[in-house]
Amino acid sequence: MSANAVLSGSSGAEIVLSAEHLTKRFGDREAVSDVSFDVRAGEVFGFLGPNGAGKTTTIRMLVGLARPDRGTVRIRGIDLARDFRGAMGHVGCIVEAPDLYKYLTGRENLVHFSRMLPDGAAGRIPELAGLVALTERLDDKVATYSLGMRQRLGIAQALLGNPDILILDEPANGLDPAGIREIRQLVRHLAGERGIAVFVSSHLLSEVEQTCDRVAIIHRGRTLATGPVRELLDRVASDRLRFDVRPARRAAEVLAAFGPAETVEGQAGEEGTIHARIPKAKVPEALRALAAAGVEVFAVERALASLEEVFLEVTGGETV
Amino acid sequence: MRFSGLVENEILKFARQRRFRVVVLILVALIGLIVFAQSRGRERVLGGKDWHVETQERMARIQNGLRDGRMPASMQRWARFELDRLRYHLDRDINPEAISGPLFARGFANAASYLLLPLLAIVFASDVVSAEFAQGTIKLLLTRPVGRARVLASKLAALGLAITLTVLFGGIVAYVFGGIAYGYGGWTAPVLTGFRVAGERLDPATVRSIVLWLDLVLAYGLAWFAALCVGAIALLTSVLLRSTAAAMGTMLAALIAGTILPRLAPSWEAQKYLFVTNLPLPDYYSGSPPPIAGLTVGLGAAVLAAWALAAVVAAFAVFIRRDVLA
Repeated sequence: MSANAVLSGSSGAEIVLSAEHLTKRFGDREAVSDVSFDVRAGEVFGFLGPNGAGKTTTIRMLVGLARPDRGTVRIRGIDLARDFRGAMGHVGCIVEAPDLYKYLTGRENLVHFSRMLPDGAAGRIPELAGLVALTERLDDKVATYSLGMRQRLGIAQALLGNPDILILDEPANGLDPAGIREIRQLVRHLAGERGIAVFVSSHLLSEVEQTCDRVAIIHRGRTLATGPVRELLDRVASDRLRFDVRPARRAAEVLAAFGPAETVEGQAGEEGTIHARIPKAKVPEALRALAAAGVEVFAVERALASLEEVFLEVTGGETV
Repeated sequence: MRFSGLVENEILKFARQRRFRVVVLILVALIGLIVFAQSRGRERVLGGKDWHVETQERMARIQNGLRDGRMPASMQRWARFELDRLRYHLDRDINPEAISGPLFARGFANAASYLLLPLLAIVFASDVVSAEFAQGTIKLLLTRPVGRARVLASKLAALGLAITLTVLFGGIVAYVFGGIAYGYGGWTAPVLTGFRVAGERLDPATVRSIVLWLDLVLAYGLAWFAALCVGAIALLTSVLLRSTAAAMGTMLAALIAGTILPRLAPSWEAQKYLFVTNLPLPDYYSGSPPPIAGLTVGLGAAVLAAWALAAVVAAFAVFIRRDVLA
């Protein structure tokens, strides 16, 4: 396989997955239009968009389940349409939901999928079971697993072939906060420690903010913006602040001089919460003014923009 | 990623699903019931004259017919076979009209080839691809570095194995249960087979005498072949419809149509090119009058093979090309 030649130059900047001008039509409707992005080794790449934006359709094209009407998917430089087996040998994925054989045990599922890989994949089962914390339940039927456990088993399955890229479709869906945290830690570990490129789709901005390095935003089948997560959040969330203060009314009067102070909770002379839009550069000054006015500040927090606000920002007015 | 590993996967899935156990239970229960009902019925029918005497009288009649020379040549052939058959039974003190374990198993092959074995083949085959869609596991199965053709080929191989085991198991159960009721011996008894219908009468010219175990192997071989072909066609419906219930319903409708059509419209000769008309291959072989004029084992097997081949080609073409959006 020619891919081994590429492997030697494994650096942080190496492009593992590249989507070029992907387009998919269903009848008259264009579900995905001209979507392009690159995912590099060792990074967690977020694919952010509301439900129905075309995320899953794009993922289906990335893993060869659906043929693009136009565009190319390359994995380690291998054209998926030309050499499916060569390309998919580098990919581990979960599409839509971690659907595994419920009537088989976790181990049987892993053995099953290891038989579809080059010899030796089965040898990784104990290690991977440990990695996703399923060792003790590995011989139970998957039907008895919680959704979080299925998600973890799905990830173990995806890792069986020692992939260079892991593609996860909404891995946080349906999980409780503890489950989401586990998955997030696992994803960060795989990217950070093992240098795997991870592609994660999500409809939750908070999820992408906490997990991903870079993000592409997709809306109505088109990518609206691609770039580092920080940059994006700075663009949309930089001036929205939340103050926990006492007394609230006095604080609101002080903050109004720096920008629109929108909401006041609590009564005069008492502790309250104020939402204010103050440019980043003016925040230190505002805090000094509050101190000078004798206002006690308990917390200042930059509010996270909602996905809707992100869309308003990047589309310049179009709502979700 | 050896092909045998993929087939092993498919066998694992067959074996661990409930339907395999259900099929085993169906066979055991059904055959048990048939044996019980049949042996009950026979007790009342038999009795009366001693069969030794009756057989000797029959042999004498045939010998007389042969001697006086008025018997047509085609009939003489049959008469000699029948004489041998009766003598064989008389020598071994076996009632030639009595049923034996192997004979019961032989009868089962004929009876089961109409509906039961095709039905069981459908139960297995209609699930093979659609279940992966229903469970969502198709997305994992087709995103591994294995070509889609290999995935479907492994499923086809496992399906063939499941159908083979089912036919084999059916035969063994029929023999074991039949043996309980009628005794296990009689493997080497001669049987007459290969009657042809000429006009209104049975034409004995093509009749052959064949030892029972060979006859049994041939009958089960034909039943197995028919079941395999039905399995291939059901696999195509499973690929096309992606729903087990829809695939099974379609195939059942076809099966039922196949049992009704020859009765309601026996004069429509083109139906001999339908696959459902040709399922009772063991019957055509042993020479029961075919439901449609011109049907023979050879033609039936060829028609079935053509259908199965077309179904497999179409199943692969669709499975390889179609987008997976489940």
